[in-house]
Amino acid sequence: MVEELLFQEDYQIVDLILIAIALLVAMAVAIILFFYFSRKRIIKSELEKANLKIANQKKILQTTLITQEEERKRIAQDLHDAISSKLNIVSLNANMLSLKDISSEETNKIATSILKVTGNVLESSRKIAHDLLPPTLDKFGLEAALEELCEEVAETNSFEVDCNLQYPEHFLGKDKELHVFRIVQELFNNSIKYSEATNLTLKTEMEGKQLLLYYSDNGKGFDVSTAKKSKGLGMSGIENRVAILNATHTLLSSPNNGISVTLALNPGNDEN
Amino acid sequence: MDTLFDILSDLAIAFCVLNALLYIFWLKENNKAFKIFAVYLVVIAVIQLNASYLKLIIPINNNLFLFHFYYILQFIFLTFFYFELLKQKWMYVVLGIVLGIITFQFIETPAMFFRYNPLGVTITQGIIVIYSVLFFYKYLHETNEFLIINIGLFFYLLSSILIFASGNLVFNMELITEYGYHLLLNLNNVLYLGLQFLIFVTWWKNYYSKKTIK
Repeated sequence: MVEELLFQEDYQIVDLILIAIALLVAMAVAIILFFYFSRKRIIKSELEKANLKIANQKKILQTTLITQEEERKRIAQDLHDAISSKLNIVSLNANMLSLKDISSEETNKIATSILKVTGNVLESSRKIAHDLLPPTLDKFGLEAALEELCEEVAETNSFEVDCNLQYPEHFLGKDKELHVFRIVQELFNNSIKYSEATNLTLKTEMEGKQLLLYYSDNGKGFDVSTAKKSKGLGMSGIENRVAILNATHTLLSSPNNGISVTLALNPGNDEN
Repeated sequence: MDTLFDILSDLAIAFCVLNALLYIFWLKENNKAFKIFAVYLVVIAVIQLNASYLKLIIPINNNLFLFHFYYILQFIFLTFFYFELLKQKWMYVVLGIVLGIITFQFIETPAMFFRYNPLGVTITQGIIVIYSVLFFYKYLHETNEFLIINIGLFFYLLSSILIFASGNLVFNMELITEYGYHLLLNLNNVLYLGLQFLIFVTWWKNYYSKKTIK
């Protein structure tokens, strides 16, 4: 009887230990499964993130290539219109000079024409080169280049340009300065081409360690949401540059209310 | 039934020795964590062989003192192993404290050398289990060659804590029948075989194929 009792107690102990061990094993399995599935999920979401990033980069690359092609087309057009056609005239005139039966009066006339045309061609080529890379930016920095840009726009006499620049020299690296300059150039271009504005405002100022750039016009404006859907090359070019600059930008516009753009720039560590 | 478990037990020991040999053979071209783990496997294999040998020549259970070597050395080597993977300096502090506690136990009751030490086993295995959980957490979103080994260690150490912790109970034959004793022992053998199998799988997947490609 006593032995039987003991036997039962023994079984109880073994049972208890076995149940506890079974619980531990179940817990271990549960934790391992939890780890396995979390891992799967995390890796999946990271993969998705990476794919999204790649798609975005692809898009940027595509627009960059398109912009490049457009730019080439424009340069080709400029060269063709401003230089090739005029050089043709020079060549024709020079040809006429080589004819034997030609009066000195005519010679003089042709020579003046050649002089005039070559002068024009020189001026045009200088302008094209200037458009491609403004020498002021390279030599005197962003502030001088922006000032010059303002003056050039003002010289057309169709706009009132309000330019208020404050920029500590070498605040941004040379590459970044070029991007900022291009953004402003594109903004001016858009205003000139489409906005029918009369007043343009460009302002840069320091706020803490940030450089703030404001640009606005009083033109006819546009609906930002519809414009975003049908991104023109100019706008996406600006956005790409903003992304490269690691800057933040806001664009406010609505029909008949002009446009206002704000850019916040940091010197950052990613420049060379 | 017993013969099946005997075979499993022998298989576990054979696997243990095989793994130790394989890891030693692949020692040269692998990192520090791998080397530490290889040494751990060798030490464990030596202890296992020693225990089996003692059992063979003197059939009475007197190889219990080897068990102290087993869990203390396991704790030391696995701490170094996980330190290589987790790089947390406080792990050394934990190592020092735990070794201190065990040393104190031995000074206090030297007779414990011939008994189970449930507290020591529970603490050392529990801490290694915590390390393996930290390892899981750290490598949630990246891969590591030791993931499978970590699963094995986590599973075996967590499950076997109770088997070892109830060791004195089991050892005391008056409290428990031989049937219960063998049941626990065999359960441990099966779990241990699982761990050795996963260690072997790691070697097969990560190292064996690498070497043959070369």
